[in-house]
Amino acid sequence: MASSPYFSLAVLFVAALLFGLAPLGLAWMWARLFSPRKPNAIKNSIYECGLVSKGDAWVQFRSAYYLYAIIFLIFDVEAVFLLPFAVAFTGLGVAACVSMLIFVLMLVEGLAWAWAKGILTWA
Amino acid sequence: MQRAEEIKAAIEAAVPGAGVTVVPNPSPSAQHALRLEPAHAVAVATFLRDAPGLAFDYLSNVTGVDWLDKEIAEKVKVTRQVTKTVDGPDGAKVDQIVDETAEETRKRVEPGYLETVYHLYSVALHHGPLVLRMRTVNRTDQIQLPSFTPVWRGAEFQEREVFDLYGIVFTGHPDLRRILMWDEFKDHPMRKDYVEPDDYEYEPTAHDAVLKRAQEHSAAAEGNRE
Amino acid sequence: MAVEKELKIELGKQGIFVTTIEELYNWGRRSSVWPMQFGLACCAIEMIATTMARYDLARFGAEVFRPSPRQADLMIVSGTVTKKMAPQVVRLYNQMAEPKYVIAMGACAISGGPFKQGYNVLKGIDRYIPVDVHIPGCPPRPEALIQAFMTLQKKIDGQPLTGEGRPRYLDADAQCEFPVPEQGAHDLEPPSNRGVWPVEIQGRGSRD
Repeated sequence: MASSPYFSLAVLFVAALLFGLAPLGLAWMWARLFSPRKPNAIKNSIYECGLVSKGDAWVQFRSAYYLYAIIFLIFDVEAVFLLPFAVAFTGLGVAACVSMLIFVLMLVEGLAWAWAKGILTWA
Repeated sequence: MQRAEEIKAAIEAAVPGAGVTVVPNPSPSAQHALRLEPAHAVAVATFLRDAPGLAFDYLSNVTGVDWLDKEIAEKVKVTRQVTKTVDGPDGAKVDQIVDETAEETRKRVEPGYLETVYHLYSVALHHGPLVLRMRTVNRTDQIQLPSFTPVWRGAEFQEREVFDLYGIVFTGHPDLRRILMWDEFKDHPMRKDYVEPDDYEYEPTAHDAVLKRAQEHSAAAEGNRE
Repeated sequence: MAVEKELKIELGKQGIFVTTIEELYNWGRRSSVWPMQFGLACCAIEMIATTMARYDLARFGAEVFRPSPRQADLMIVSGTVTKKMAPQVVRLYNQMAEPKYVIAMGACAISGGPFKQGYNVLKGIDRYIPVDVHIPGCPPRPEALIQAFMTLQKKIDGQPLTGEGRPRYLDADAQCEFPVPEQGAHDLEPPSNRGVWPVEIQGRGSRD
């Protein structure tokens, strides 16, 4: 078994798992041993500015919110590509500039499409 | 701005039977108030807002006043027929009926009422304030007054405050709830006969009223202990 | 076994650091007192000023104002507590995790202050929750709040973990729930929590 080429990978995998779980376990044990437990009905109730909470905390968001978030994410990532391009701009040729332009235009087209679909209007 | 009497005349010309009275203010400011009849008050208010020469477009302030039952002592001249024994012309005693006038103090109780006071200004014509007053019939059950919220939107919260603290019920108000005290509260703290909770702590103070309350409190506490 | 104080100092001079679990535990607690982020009135402005650069509350490990009671250790009652607000303040205090402390900041939080004779002002937050440090003033200066912090840190430092005088949360029998007053028809009901406020207060109800 030790001769298997995957053995070292398995060891690493277990080590990685422990590396993540050990602090959590220690924290849990520490809390069990040392943290004082004084629960009561008021303490366990939902926190809402000191007022008695009304209704359920598990409310549904509109799906439009997620579309909005995805569009934001795309333009966020676009900035990551634009920054190195802008830094290296003076040393680049026409081809790089044109391809970057196409990339940005594709995103703009996507934005125009989303706009036309009415995703940006919050109704 | 026109004088209160002129405004009164204008109102009476525009709203027949409005029943406006001028309540004079003897202080140097001489801000005489107009007392409106509740039945025509909204019509009068609308006129005051829309009349081109007046144009009171801004309601600055709404407040309340609590007037307790007033005991008025007044001197009345009373004429009575009294039988008197007078010396007759022939020396004999004769009973004679004579009218005698005497002064007597009589006590009369004037029922209390709640009053609202509105201060109006005109932003367009730069004049004001015009003081309006309205009175309820009594302090207990007939405490309705018309709301000016449909005329001036700014009256909404202030009328809620007057409702909360004085208990005047504004008919026509869109959302008449308590605004400062909690909804379960039953009293009206700004009324003169409001009984405060006796949760006071005592300390040396120069205020006679506080000292009196302190004495009452300790007397009550003594009574409880026994 | 405890090390005597003189011996500890002597060892410290020689470069040997001796401590106890209790000291370490209290040091940890007092160096990270996180206040709850809420203000009631004008005292809150002074509280905000205390956290800013000039007064710099961060020196005491207390710069992290937590917006949730779950993560806060300290409630600074900064300002007038109206009877309308009192149940909310008491409920927030209940929702904080142990160990928790309270600083009553300013005349109003202590006793009602200038509004004491008002019908809608609670005459001191210590009628409902236990207060550790009171600061007089109207409002107290930021230095006074820092002084209160240092007093609280001294108090935490001096708390034993076992035996008499141990904090409430380490005592299994101690009551840690502070009832939230109800807003009644004339006054808060009850007018005080007899567990923390020794004197009986006659509510309005007893007079009717």
